[in-house]
Amino acid sequence: MAAHLPRYLLRRVLQAVPLLLGVLVVNFFLIHLAPGDPIYLLAGDGGDEPYFAAMRQKYGLDKPLPVQLGLYLLGVVQGEFGYSFAYARPVFEVIAARLPPTLLLMGVSIVLSTVVGVWLGVVCARRPNSPVERSVLVATLLGYGCPAFWLGQLLVLLFAVRLGWFPVQGMVNARADYEGLARLSDIARHLALPVATLSVLHLALVTRLTRTGLREELGKDYVRTARAKGLPTPSVVNRHALRNALLPVVTVVGADIGTLFTGAVLTEIVFAWPGLGRLLYDATLSRDYPLLMGIFLLVGTSVILTNIVTDVAYAVLDPRVRYT
Amino acid sequence: MIPQQPSSFLARALRGGPGRLLWLTLMLIIAMTPMVAAQGTPEPRDGGTLVVSIASDPGHFNPAITTGFTQHVVADSMFNGLVGLDANLQPVPDLAESWEISDDGRVYTFYLRPDVAWHDGMPFTSADVKFSFEEVLLKYHSRTAAGLGAVLESIETPDDLTVVMTFTGPYAPLLRRLDVTEAPIIPKHIYEGIEDPTTAEANLKPVGTGPFKFVAYAQGDQVTLEANEDYFKEGLPRLDRVVFRVIPEANSALQALQSGEVDYAWNVTPAQIQLLQASPDLETATASASPGGALCINTMAFNLENEPLDQLEVRQAIYHALDRERMLEQIQFGAGKIATGPISSAMSDFYSADVTAYPYDPERAMELLDDAGLTPDENGVRLTLVFPHPNTFDRYGELIREQLGAVGIAVEDVSLDFNAATDRVFLDRDFDLAIVSYCNGADPEIGVRRVYDSRNIRPIPFSNAAAYSNPEVDALFDEAATTLNADERAAHYAEIQRILTADVPYMWLIETEGIRAFRPEFHDFKHWSGHFAETAWTENAAE
Repeated sequence: MAAHLPRYLLRRVLQAVPLLLGVLVVNFFLIHLAPGDPIYLLAGDGGDEPYFAAMRQKYGLDKPLPVQLGLYLLGVVQGEFGYSFAYARPVFEVIAARLPPTLLLMGVSIVLSTVVGVWLGVVCARRPNSPVERSVLVATLLGYGCPAFWLGQLLVLLFAVRLGWFPVQGMVNARADYEGLARLSDIARHLALPVATLSVLHLALVTRLTRTGLREELGKDYVRTARAKGLPTPSVVNRHALRNALLPVVTVVGADIGTLFTGAVLTEIVFAWPGLGRLLYDATLSRDYPLLMGIFLLVGTSVILTNIVTDVAYAVLDPRVRYT
Repeated sequence: MIPQQPSSFLARALRGGPGRLLWLTLMLIIAMTPMVAAQGTPEPRDGGTLVVSIASDPGHFNPAITTGFTQHVVADSMFNGLVGLDANLQPVPDLAESWEISDDGRVYTFYLRPDVAWHDGMPFTSADVKFSFEEVLLKYHSRTAAGLGAVLESIETPDDLTVVMTFTGPYAPLLRRLDVTEAPIIPKHIYEGIEDPTTAEANLKPVGTGPFKFVAYAQGDQVTLEANEDYFKEGLPRLDRVVFRVIPEANSALQALQSGEVDYAWNVTPAQIQLLQASPDLETATASASPGGALCINTMAFNLENEPLDQLEVRQAIYHALDRERMLEQIQFGAGKIATGPISSAMSDFYSADVTAYPYDPERAMELLDDAGLTPDENGVRLTLVFPHPNTFDRYGELIREQLGAVGIAVEDVSLDFNAATDRVFLDRDFDLAIVSYCNGADPEIGVRRVYDSRNIRPIPFSNAAAYSNPEVDALFDEAATTLNADERAAHYAEIQRILTADVPYMWLIETEGIRAFRPEFHDFKHWSGHFAETAWTENAAE
């Protein structure tokens, strides 16, 4: 595998370029052909024809669509992503400001739910048909069926409003200017409930995938051989069987990382988390074309890249997989 | 408009209602308790932080380039207009301490306060006013550009503290469109020479003259302001800090208010009123004006270009078929009042009650429809009307479908997002009934006129959606705008209200009010104004 990897990677990256271009072109036409006009937002409750005409000209919206698309792509090649209508600032800056909160929220949630999910999965697989397994499975089923919006509100009502353990909303305390460690612990407190909300769904998926995969592997011949050789159970499960059982989990986590940037729109809204999911939502409502295109570009790139990384991770986990 | 309620006990007791006796008893008990009574009415204090929830991210802080609600709610606290508006929306001095109007009504002379400095220490002068209007407001502030662009002839600055505005003809409404929301003054020394003021870096580090100064902005999260110690109004502001928190979900904002993370919420929905009334530790107030629009009326437009809506009887019938009491009760939860015509009753100088009324009367509605020859078919349907509306009006859609259905009018209720609904009604004109929250400003010339003037039948939002055309109404609006005598103006507007309610090109449903909720230790907000926190103070401030 090792010898082929660089060439394989190069090919995959080259293939990604036309794919990304396709994503941009399709999205460009989709958002421009949807009804609505970004100037409505800028004009607010006012404006006359000269104002509308001047604004259209200022933002290049008076040009034919193919020309607008061409100009946009030309800019992207030069590293120019345009100005957000609503923020009146470079799209790059607007997105960059919202990236860290989203990465923090999604990152913590994915790591936490994957680690805990795999652990729960192993626990279940090792005690088939036990009360422990049954209660975990019922809990995961419920967790998977919970809408984030509802669960988030429920957690807020109980843990924030009733018990007062965690704040209701936001990323930092509005009344205090914390520095250093105090700031970190403040963010961690604000992070708890949104991470819990987001993790529940993901945790359920990982737990069930791990359990099913592991049970299948544990029934295979090589496991029996390992046991016959006298290997202790933890070693059999963790070093041999789990490694094979995790392949589908890698696929699911990989897909989640692809949507890392926008995957938490509802959670971000409920908890007033200042992330990218909310930015995408706002940009859609206000028909902020340059900002929308910028977010699509980011998401498209990240999905394509994580797909490549996932495929490579497969090879690391499973030596049978070969790349040519 | 109900200004700030002074104290919860007193206000609740005086407001009456079923709980009145209970509150009076409670007050009596409290008055007899020496320890509590000793506290008395609290005196204003200096200091403290106010945390305010807003529904969306402002993105920038230049109030002169936008009419956006969120931008103004935040930025207005850092800027001033030439003239302010009091609780009754009457002009009061702000940056201008006095003004004169020439006898012919064409020339306004403003005398500026001499003691005003920008937040960076530079002196404020008449040059800033001229620059703000000519280079920014008349180009980018959509309402001011549309309202003053055509009639303002020149702005002159004979000296540093005098501004002379000359109009092409007499112009009556000027003083009500110069407040910090309609015409904020921005610093010339910062924006001069910048090619495009809409993308200027300065929009993120605003320098104003207002009661609060900019400190920090965390995008999508919060904006922090601090008191301007050198503010030109003696003793103001009283608060040390104001933090605006972006909380998009109204329920989350209310929960943050209950848990004490937030002190003042702008984004309260009518459906939350009952919840708020059940929270004894929260105060509510309503205001008919806000930086997002003043004296708004939820108005339905008939598409007069479509048959049979061009018939007066049909329009009268539909108006009679609507139960607006129920709309007020079930959709607005009592926040507002039933509208009687095109001018809000809160615009007391211009409102007239001498109009044709359309009380809820389904019998009369059916008679009128019979008279118009619209008889029910075998399914009981006389007529089908298409009603596209923004999804924020979904509840109106449900009630209207039900109420018109009761008189045999089928309604095809189409819920769209705001942008798509605006396209469909104003651009495509693909509707029979439309609903718009027309906000009217403090003078009919600012908002009311555009809805009924036949010269404003055009494909832009908030124009004359009905395509109503009446030369007499057009002429009356022209005269009212150029007449300086207040009584004559009022007479013109009374005539307009009489004609419009007789013609019913629109149905005026509810005069809506904005709801604010806040923690009871805070007092003296100006709920109607962009300067809402200028006079506010908190009992929590350290002595």
